Amino acid sequence: MAIKKFFNRHPMLPLIIPAALLIYFVYVALGWNLWVSVSDWEAYSLEASYGFGGFKWYAQMFKDPQFWISLKNTLLLFLIIPLCLLIGLLLALLMDQGLKGTSLFRNLILLPFALSYVVTGTVWAWMYNPSSGIINSILKMMGISTQGLLWISSQEMVMPSIIIALVWQFSGYVALIFYAGIKSVPQNVINAAKLDGAYSPRIYRKLVLPALKGSMSSAITILAMYALRSFDFIWQMTQGGPGTASHTLPVLMYRETFEKNNFAYGAAIANFLLVLVLVLILPITYYSNRKK
Amino acid sequence: MSTAVNVKPVKEKVPVHLRVLRVVYYLIMICTVLLYLLPFWGTVTTSFKTAEEALTTNPLSFPEEISFDAYVDSFEELKESLITSVIITVGGALGSVALGSVCAYGLSKYRFKFDGLFFLLLSAAIYLPYQAILVPLLKTISNLGLYDTRRGLILIHIVYGMPMCTSMFRGFYSDIPDALIKQAMIDGNGPWQIYRKIVLPNTTIATVTVLVFQFTSVWNEMLFALTMGGFDCMPATIALNQMVGALSAEFNMQMAGSIWLTLPVLLLYMFLGKYLIRGYMAGAVTAS
Repeated sequence: MAIKKFFNRHPMLPLIIPAALLIYFVYVALGWNLWVSVSDWEAYSLEASYGFGGFKWYAQMFKDPQFWISLKNTLLLFLIIPLCLLIGLLLALLMDQGLKGTSLFRNLILLPFALSYVVTGTVWAWMYNPSSGIINSILKMMGISTQGLLWISSQEMVMPSIIIALVWQFSGYVALIFYAGIKSVPQNVINAAKLDGAYSPRIYRKLVLPALKGSMSSAITILAMYALRSFDFIWQMTQGGPGTASHTLPVLMYRETFEKNNFAYGAAIANFLLVLVLVLILPITYYSNRKK
Repeated sequence: MSTAVNVKPVKEKVPVHLRVLRVVYYLIMICTVLLYLLPFWGTVTTSFKTAEEALTTNPLSFPEEISFDAYVDSFEELKESLITSVIITVGGALGSVALGSVCAYGLSKYRFKFDGLFFLLLSAAIYLPYQAILVPLLKTISNLGLYDTRRGLILIHIVYGMPMCTSMFRGFYSDIPDALIKQAMIDGNGPWQIYRKIVLPNTTIATVTVLVFQFTSVWNEMLFALTMGGFDCMPATIALNQMVGALSAEFNMQMAGSIWLTLPVLLLYMFLGKYLIRGYMAGAVTAS
């Protein structure tokens, strides 16, 4: 009876369960991970040890050439942002022309986004296959290159190849976001502008594009989050190779932690990634929420 | 003649150069679709080829003789892990949607102690890079005896799916008028009775939307599957990953396996695509 009374007075008490899960699995875990990175947990050991070991793994990280390659590649992936924004905007404008079949078009270009990175990674690894892949076959058919290119088998081409594939996967989604933004401009405002004699490009420039700021910050956030967390797709397609040419920070973290059992170092890399998220994502979310 | 002004949409006469422009637009549209669907076309044609044909013929060509061998063989390889994936996906999606819905209901309709803090912690967790909790998670899951079990992966997906689900539900629940809740309260209903009798029945579209969204994201997931499972409990993403590694030259098998893995998502996309797209939009709003 007393329990029932207490529950009646605090009806939201059941939320303590999700709250506890969240606090433990996210925030306690983050603190734990911070501690692991400065602990004396030995390299290549599954045996956890939680004494203080100093900041040696961070020092090691900044000396590690693989870390710098991974950081460079992680930042290189940010190129998907301008590419997807540009293509997405053009596709959204195309969808806004009142053409027949627009919704089918939208569904088809959005389809890549719904697929698992494991699937798209498998398919694109094959697309890029130098001898039996689609891309080289097309280059040969068009007579551009009889030899074909090496794509993901070459150190120089692997990152551009990954970026192309990711633009394919994400640009339809960005187009969807922009299209929703365009549709949110009230039709009567546009009609009024037309009555006043404004012609289409002018309507787009003065009325529609300014309304897309919110859509743009959503798209940028999502793409930036992906660039920072990029693991599945690259792991499936190249495993970070050839050599270390397509290592990103998440790939390096996985290799150090789960392949070499170098837990403290892995934790340090992950914390660097966390800082990167805070530094890069927080300002965008702060800026776009402030204006609401 | 009625007195009401008949408002007609503003319609311009279509001059010739604009009509030409429309044709150009259609051409661009068709080319874009062809470009986007090119990988799918190659995937489907190759999956129906035999292993030799997949290696020797043009990847875009139609198979000389349609062979289902790759589908049969790859299904044989993947079937156990597909079952594992179904169990994990159903459990993980239902659990995170249930928790997300409850949290969103409480947060959007009631004031309670630490509600602001709870909301902040939930929202911030959406941006969590999972790498930053993987080592502690591995330790926790091992200590609980859940390493490499379906229950373990279900728990993980429930917990880490919850923030996104909450955020999506909050957007939908904010459309429920507060007056409706107040009226039900005056009628003597407690908050959770109102949730059961009014909120849930009136927001089935929202629930389906979040469920479909969450279903696809758990199904497609790889990082947790790889680090917290993978031997006894192997989700289909990992099984496909291993199959591709083992059969690196058998592209027909790889493509047929990819199609098996895509099939559930594709069916959702075809039959509940409206909801999935709505979910993507809600996800985009959340992320800004």
